[in-house]
Amino acid sequence: MQITHKSIGWIFLVIALLLGEQARVEAAPITFNTALPVGKGEFVWREKFFRRMREDETAFPDRQVEINGITTAIGYGVTSNWALFGVLPLLDKQLEVSTSAGRIQRQTRGIGDLQLFARYTILKNDTPGKTFRLAPLFGVVIPTGKDDDADAFGRLPRTLQTGTGAWGGFAGLIATYSTVSYQLDTQLVYLDQGSDEGFEAGAVSRLDLSFQYRLRPGKIDRDTKGFLYGVLESNLVKTERDQINQQAVADTGGTQWFLSPGLQYVSRRWVWEFAIQLPVSQNMNGNAIRDDYILHAGFRRNF
Amino acid sequence: MELMMNRKKLIYSFLLWLAFSGAAWSETEYTIRADGIVCPFCAYSVEKQFRKIDGVQAVEVDLEKGEVFVTTSDEVVFTDEQLSDLFADAGFTYRSIENQVVKRADD
Repeated sequence: MQITHKSIGWIFLVIALLLGEQARVEAAPITFNTALPVGKGEFVWREKFFRRMREDETAFPDRQVEINGITTAIGYGVTSNWALFGVLPLLDKQLEVSTSAGRIQRQTRGIGDLQLFARYTILKNDTPGKTFRLAPLFGVVIPTGKDDDADAFGRLPRTLQTGTGAWGGFAGLIATYSTVSYQLDTQLVYLDQGSDEGFEAGAVSRLDLSFQYRLRPGKIDRDTKGFLYGVLESNLVKTERDQINQQAVADTGGTQWFLSPGLQYVSRRWVWEFAIQLPVSQNMNGNAIRDDYILHAGFRRNF
Repeated sequence: MELMMNRKKLIYSFLLWLAFSGAAWSETEYTIRADGIVCPFCAYSVEKQFRKIDGVQAVEVDLEKGEVFVTTSDEVVFTDEQLSDLFADAGFTYRSIENQVVKRADD
């Protein structure tokens, strides 16, 4: 099973590197998707590092979770309206928790669940230096991650595994309005995480908004080679309670609202981007774990 | 006498070379109006589509005005249908060829 996970990861990486020769990328939100086009027969390749720190919101935090990952995303333009995407995370998850045996650390690493989805542009309105796009998306989550990893203390908790073990599905709608000075993106997505061996991770609904404003250069002309954008994103995420044998788990799920300031430099061949997702409000169920921050840093390259 | 003939040949050859090389240097710059191109990467995507066409020498984009400047050798002639497909494949909207300027080496 381990070999299979690694093989899929390597195959994905090799495909990404090969296709990178034809990669095309553009200004886009950092924490979610855009409706801007992927040209017919073209590929998009993106790599993003993220670090997510989570802990109990109590006077003396007991559980601390640290997740580090690299996400590889590839998009392919079947036509200028149809685009297919694959997203595969490589994860390292650590949990520190107090037990009767004292403070212990548990850890796992490996590829996560593979997401495959399609996006179709149903509305396109182009004017000089401006565009508006509306595109629904739908996809599946394939359980390529581990869901049965164990250590000396036994099987790891389901939320610490790199995969859910279940086939999931998601659907949503993305809208993008872009000009040469700024860009607005919004996304509404519902994710059903499916169930496996009586465990069902809570469904996730999210509403995202991104505003990217061109900071430099002030004026553009035929010789302009790159844009520096200031980015501000908002992510409203509602997660339902997990279920075990159709019984809701009390201390899981909740509603979170993040604001994510960031910077993005878009040149002809490279995009460098950075954002930090900070929780503004976290209305969690019971003692469900909270986020401290999520850091995103990545690049896209156009060969 | 023979020396004079050789000199004449040389001069004729040089003039002939000048005439043909002058023609080889000529080029055409098209100004094409296209909508929806909003960032350097969009522009690069359009450039890549044009680069697939033999004879295209340079592509520049004025994002603000939505104009694409394509410099080609003389033999390249664009049609509305061709440009419409080219921009559609890149994900953008072709509008028109605004004008065309022929440049020659002796201009």
